[in-house]
Amino acid sequence: MSAWPAWLRSARVLTGLAVVLAIALIALFAPLLAPHDPNEQNLISTFLPPAWLQGGDAAFPLGTDSLGRCTLSRLIYGARVAMTVAVVASLGAMIIGAVLAHIAGYFGGAIDWLIGRTVDVWMSFPPVILSLILMVGLGTGLRNVILAIVLVDWTRFCRVLRSEVLVVTRRDYVAAARLVGFSHWRTITREILPATLPLLITLISLEMGIAVIVEAILSFVGMSVGATTPAWGQMIADARQYIYDAPWNLAFPILAIFVTVLGFNVLGDGLRRTLDVRLTETQRA
Amino acid sequence: MSLLVADALTVSTTLEGARVPVLRDLSFALAPGKVLGLVGESGAGKSMVGRTVAQLLPPGFAVSSGSLAFAGADLVTMPGETRRALLGREIAFIPQEPLSALNPVLTIGAQFGEHLARIGAPASARRESMLAAFEAVHLQGGADLLGRYPHQLSGGMCQRVLIAFAFASHPKLVIADEPTTALDVTIQARIVRLIAEMQERQETAVLFITHDLRLAAQVCDDILVLYAGRAVEYGPARKVFAAPAHPYTRCLQLANPAMHTRRALYALPERMPGLRAYAAITGCAFASRCPNVIEECRAAPPPVSAVAPGHRAACIRSALTGEIVPATEPAAEPTAAHAPILGVENLTRRFTSGGLFRRSDFAAVKNVSFTLRENEFVGIVGESGSGKSTLARLVVGLEAPTEGRITIAGRAAGEPGFDAHRREHVQMVFQDPQSALNPRRRVASIVTQPLEAAGHLGWEARLARAGLLLGEIGLPADAALRFPSQLSGGQRQRVNIARALCAVPRILIADEIVSGLDVSVQAQLLRLLAALRRERHFAMLFISHDLSVVRYLCDRVLVMYRGEVVESGETEQVFAAPAHEYTRTLLAAVPPDDPAEVWEGLRAV
Repeated sequence: MSAWPAWLRSARVLTGLAVVLAIALIALFAPLLAPHDPNEQNLISTFLPPAWLQGGDAAFPLGTDSLGRCTLSRLIYGARVAMTVAVVASLGAMIIGAVLAHIAGYFGGAIDWLIGRTVDVWMSFPPVILSLILMVGLGTGLRNVILAIVLVDWTRFCRVLRSEVLVVTRRDYVAAARLVGFSHWRTITREILPATLPLLITLISLEMGIAVIVEAILSFVGMSVGATTPAWGQMIADARQYIYDAPWNLAFPILAIFVTVLGFNVLGDGLRRTLDVRLTETQRA
Repeated sequence: MSLLVADALTVSTTLEGARVPVLRDLSFALAPGKVLGLVGESGAGKSMVGRTVAQLLPPGFAVSSGSLAFAGADLVTMPGETRRALLGREIAFIPQEPLSALNPVLTIGAQFGEHLARIGAPASARRESMLAAFEAVHLQGGADLLGRYPHQLSGGMCQRVLIAFAFASHPKLVIADEPTTALDVTIQARIVRLIAEMQERQETAVLFITHDLRLAAQVCDDILVLYAGRAVEYGPARKVFAAPAHPYTRCLQLANPAMHTRRALYALPERMPGLRAYAAITGCAFASRCPNVIEECRAAPPPVSAVAPGHRAACIRSALTGEIVPATEPAAEPTAAHAPILGVENLTRRFTSGGLFRRSDFAAVKNVSFTLRENEFVGIVGESGSGKSTLARLVVGLEAPTEGRITIAGRAAGEPGFDAHRREHVQMVFQDPQSALNPRRRVASIVTQPLEAAGHLGWEARLARAGLLLGEIGLPADAALRFPSQLSGGQRQRVNIARALCAVPRILIADEIVSGLDVSVQAQLLRLLAALRRERHFAMLFISHDLSVVRYLCDRVLVMYRGEVVESGETEQVFAAPAHEYTRTLLAAVPPDDPAEVWEGLRAV
């Protein structure tokens, strides 16, 4: 027996956590880490390759783009948008989804029906189109990107959690809590939520990865943060036109997205394996 | 010439680096056409014997010494192919859970056909043999049955199908592993009867694994009593039952409530040592719980000695076994003159199912009326689906009645503030402690939940209160900080009871709270309930399918059948002279206390 909880001893969780924390720290200390201002243009040295290739410049470790902006600095600043969206949007989606899921699963009946059908209708819109429409309506900006993702993705939480809440609500200890005089609020927060929390945490880490991708899609089509804020999707969009002249400009932001999403997914998968009671119970049996 | 012979059979597994014998020095012989009962509580190793015969031991378990011979050939050293040829043909099984033993996506006919093909029946004769087999196990509508899926049949019918499977190959040996445990009482006797009938007709030997000593005494020729993987007593069934030589057998017998008279129960303390404790046992495994224990018992394992011809026991003081008697219990006060505390009038609960157009209406509880007096224990008996649990949920308020009136301590349901009033007076103990205790709370937090609901006590005060409650229900004080998963089944059920008692209720509703527990643990809980009744003076509605338990605990009894109360009255009276046909069926389904008596339930198929 170790003092560490089981989920902290899993290799998957540790790997995922290391990747995610590293990116979060980079985002946090972007002004200290970035060699240049991400929007500083240097029209004399455009399309510089990475420093280690022929014609590279040590001042621009990962080269420059069509306007001579430092790719590394833009990547570092781009992590800020990605991480902010990942954390805030998935927390927001989680809160809406989880609250509705607990209400639906716990009270059942007409409330459950209403919430269930709303989720059905909501989910029948193609998610990318829905977020694009929302962005057109709301206008660009970090806050609106987050709002768009929250409005699209809360259904995912709601649907998965509802069935879990339903299972827990049928446990006798929930009935017992009601019989000893627990209010509905207390029953949900003290008896049901602790049981659904592991699933909630797992879903959140997976949702963070999804949020990074959705943000990249939106900024790729120019529907995310404004042109002055560097974002990975935007960088891909810029580099796309010069794909034959400067392929590395396309490769680096794609790699950044890939690593970030992989980190979140590995973390989520590790958490699911260690926290999901059903999985650990079958192992024990 | 015996069919199945075990000689000093030992099955071991590796636990934390050490070899632990799960079955130790087991010797028995089963003659063709005879029935050998393997009796013991859960964890005694009964099923392990069956699995050893089939060589279906779990990974890590292996026969480490001794032999197990079937018709002269050693099953342990036999090549896998030979053994597989035996299984299903010469050796057949009747499982515990009939529903999970059948494949849900194949029809009965497809599964039976597959089985017949395996045992080598010619394809042309299969249909005939299937129909004949169904006929033999008294299943109606054979041809129709072939096209059915398992979920379309009742549990009893599934078990009949499996019995037909088992006997289809005219096996020499059938292993029945608790074949009736998962079934309703009224069906149990019929299934036992059917196995006995098939066994007689085909002269098959049966290894009958059960936890019910009374049942074993009825159906078996010989009995082998197991305790912690060791054989403690072996002999002719009636002799073992009439004069047990080992204290464990005697205690098991006394832990089972009698049907005819109300006598004190023998509550064995604690429980059987688990696998991990095996290594520490130097002498007799039963020594820690034995009322006749002396120093010598702990020194060396007791030798198996004959107490009568063919009757052996592993006890050095077997002569004293007959002197074990349960501690006397004061009788409960008569309650006939007490004031009523719960009144139920014409209570009905209907459930509607189906969609908008095809609604079906089903009354789980129909027009039920009764009263419960202060400090009175009333039993509700009936088989599954009789509406017992729904009635309990109606009384505590987890379900709302469709019609009828509930009155608790002078106030009727529907009056303002009734819910709070009901909570003060009524508490419920749930059936399955696994589901009724939040696995993420500590015991102290669970038992003091009613205080948390009131919301005015700190953790220190709750801990102190938990200590008092745990003392009252007989749990050690250090259990307070444990999680439910760290407790045994019996201990969990005590926690379950303690939570209900914390609110100091006047009425307890107990829904099947001792079913699924071992007999010795059940006896502990029943004695506990009887003692709590004398100290706390609460009334109780005790729901159970086990008539003997109700017989022991309750003053009055209500018999429910399909949602209606078909008979009610003083327990003594109802049990002695049942008026309703259904009550008679229920009573006949329980094996009699004395194996010499004729078991009525066995005669009617």
